[in-house]
Amino acid sequence: MDLRGKTVTIAHGAGGKQTAELIAQVFKAHFSNPYFTADDAAVLPAPEGRIAMTTDGFIVSPRFFRGGNIGKLSICGTVNDLSCMGAEPLYLTCAFVIEEGFPFEQLEKIVSSMEMTAKEAGVRIVAGDTKVAGKGQVDGVFITTTGVGRIMDNVQTSGSFARPGDSVLVTGDIGRHGCCILLERDEYGIEAEVSSDCAPLWNSVKAVLGKVPEVHVIRDATRGGVGTVLYEIAQESDTGVLLEREFIPVDPAVRGVTDMLGLDPMYLACEGTLVMVVAQEKTQEVLRILQTQKYTHNCAVIGHITESEKGRVVMRTAIGTQTYLPQPGNELLPRIC
Amino acid sequence: MCVGLSARVVRVSEGSALVDASGARREVSAQLVADLEPGDYVMVHAGAAIAKITEDDTKQADDLMEEFLA
Amino acid sequence: MTDSGKENKKSAVEKAVEILSTYDGPKIRIMEVCGTHTHEIFRQGIRSLLPENISLISGPGCPVCVTPVSFIDEAVMLALDKGCTILTFGDLVRVPGSEKSLQTARGEGAIVKVVYSPADAQVYALEHPDEETVFLSVGFETTTPSSCIALEQAIAHGLKNFSLLCANKTMPAAYRAMMDTTDVYLYPGHVCAIQGLSECRQMLELGMSGVVAGFTAPELLTALAVAVRKTEEGRPFLVNCYPRVVTEEGSPEARALVHRYMQPCDSRWRGIGVLKNSGLTLRPEYADYDARKKYNLPGIEGKEAKLCRCGQVLQGAITPKDCPLFGKVCTPEHPVGACMVSSEGACSAFYLYRK
Repeated sequence: MDLRGKTVTIAHGAGGKQTAELIAQVFKAHFSNPYFTADDAAVLPAPEGRIAMTTDGFIVSPRFFRGGNIGKLSICGTVNDLSCMGAEPLYLTCAFVIEEGFPFEQLEKIVSSMEMTAKEAGVRIVAGDTKVAGKGQVDGVFITTTGVGRIMDNVQTSGSFARPGDSVLVTGDIGRHGCCILLERDEYGIEAEVSSDCAPLWNSVKAVLGKVPEVHVIRDATRGGVGTVLYEIAQESDTGVLLEREFIPVDPAVRGVTDMLGLDPMYLACEGTLVMVVAQEKTQEVLRILQTQKYTHNCAVIGHITESEKGRVVMRTAIGTQTYLPQPGNELLPRIC
Repeated sequence: MCVGLSARVVRVSEGSALVDASGARREVSAQLVADLEPGDYVMVHAGAAIAKITEDDTKQADDLMEEFLA
Repeated sequence: MTDSGKENKKSAVEKAVEILSTYDGPKIRIMEVCGTHTHEIFRQGIRSLLPENISLISGPGCPVCVTPVSFIDEAVMLALDKGCTILTFGDLVRVPGSEKSLQTARGEGAIVKVVYSPADAQVYALEHPDEETVFLSVGFETTTPSSCIALEQAIAHGLKNFSLLCANKTMPAAYRAMMDTTDVYLYPGHVCAIQGLSECRQMLELGMSGVVAGFTAPELLTALAVAVRKTEEGRPFLVNCYPRVVTEEGSPEARALVHRYMQPCDSRWRGIGVLKNSGLTLRPEYADYDARKKYNLPGIEGKEAKLCRCGQVLQGAITPKDCPLFGKVCTPEHPVGACMVSSEGACSAFYLYRK
């Protein structure tokens, strides 16, 4: 179907013939599966055991960036949230708010990468909703996804389960998504080869939990980055975290960009990197598994959980001193001083 | 008061220089430093190269040790 | 060539650490004049290596911290009342004015854009001919040349919609004003990169000791160790511990550029007061680019928050913890004083790295 030049109009959101056309041409074409019907709700077989459920809204500017787009992001975000609970992503719903005048061609690209990403993660998109907002009321397209997953047997993860002595891992180099978006916005005239790490991580998590179900904490380091997640874990588990600054994997180009702007990659968003807290004796096994997986071969142990310094994240520096990782807080602004 | 970034000069043209800090590149002013050439290392602040860097901090520390702290 | 953190420097760093940690002589007060030094010293955990008889005082070298409240008020007035687009370094966005910060003003419709460099501000003005743009020109000797580069480009392009709100400052008056509060200055490496060593030599003639320091862990440690060793010798000294960047003559090009567009003026430093000839303002022939003149700004007094003791913190008279607001009313999320806003302000550093 030729979508070139065609744009979304208010009529596409009015519920009539044109809405049906939009759904048929764009959504159905990609989300086709037995559960995705024209009925008011998807009818699904209930999984056995415990389920996890999560929802997330996605607004990103620009919508297309190196390594992904808002569609891919909207699937990865929810898939990864489920994965963090050890839940196999089963069903997903998505709600679109589309700005009047939005090109069909772009929408098609977004939806198509949602399809591909969902397929890779093994999750089915079972229901959707489309609203069209007047020009200027939204910025292009906003997507909200909701996901349901079945929690693997014998798995129980929570931000409050970290125990002194546990190892702290990241599944990849940090801060890449945030850095990529910063570059794509082109506000600071900096160029660097940095792709978003945006990726669905269920397969990696499944591989780990299949062998080591007793992982204590898994959390995705999205908004606020690894630094924010570590503070959350320290506070929820009432423990300390001791990091080794030199062990934290950062892509050199990300380092260059953040140094230029006076930012710390510890607070930049990741969209395909998790923090894991694992019993010390299981650390090597988890690392070995992650190293064989598609998106997690840059995994690294970056520190461990401590009894002391409850609620704080301490950093050991290259010169052997210890210092606190500053608590995350404000809007990230480049600085000269 | 003044965050500096060390970067390598890639190209110099008409008062400006393209610098590279481990893969991050940006045009900066080359007006404040005389005779910049590609391959030079410079300290960059607020969009301008403010000085050439003549050696690394390790060598400098060793020299200071020898002179003052031995 | 790389900075810090690599192999082979252990010996020098270890030696420096040994000198510092085993020092047991009379108390030495070292003022890190520059806020970036304050920040890096905390980030590298260097304070934990020092014995009690070496005390580090965080000085006035953070342009955000010493910028008076009235400057923010002027910027807010330009943004909200005069409809100007404000272009600024990220550092200033959250600094509280008498009533509003630029961030609050942005919530009320002000256009506030963060730029990486003054030259980028000039490009923005060029690309947005319908907007009246004002660049907030703050900073010390290191940063001021960049503002002048932007001005030079604006003049070359014949821009009519670009001006500077200047609060540029120079260090020598502050060096003189603070010399009784400390024994040794850790001189700001990047100011010296521009100015060369002559100003530090003048201080030496007044009997004031100092070391010029860089910003990596090996640089800070060796500079501090040299400061301690030379202090023990008992004579005033000046050592350039950052020779890979700082030369005797600095950057004559930068100084000539600043001289072409700017002239000295008296300037108010938050908490310290007005220091004679400690600021820079545009020369009268560039009045068209001076936002204060262009928009006829009234003289603004500026109300500093009551109880805020940034002033004494900046002078090293108290530590942030001695301020009644510190960590209670005044936090990085809700800063009362500028020293809590700037990531290199002493209060912010003490708060973020507090026990």
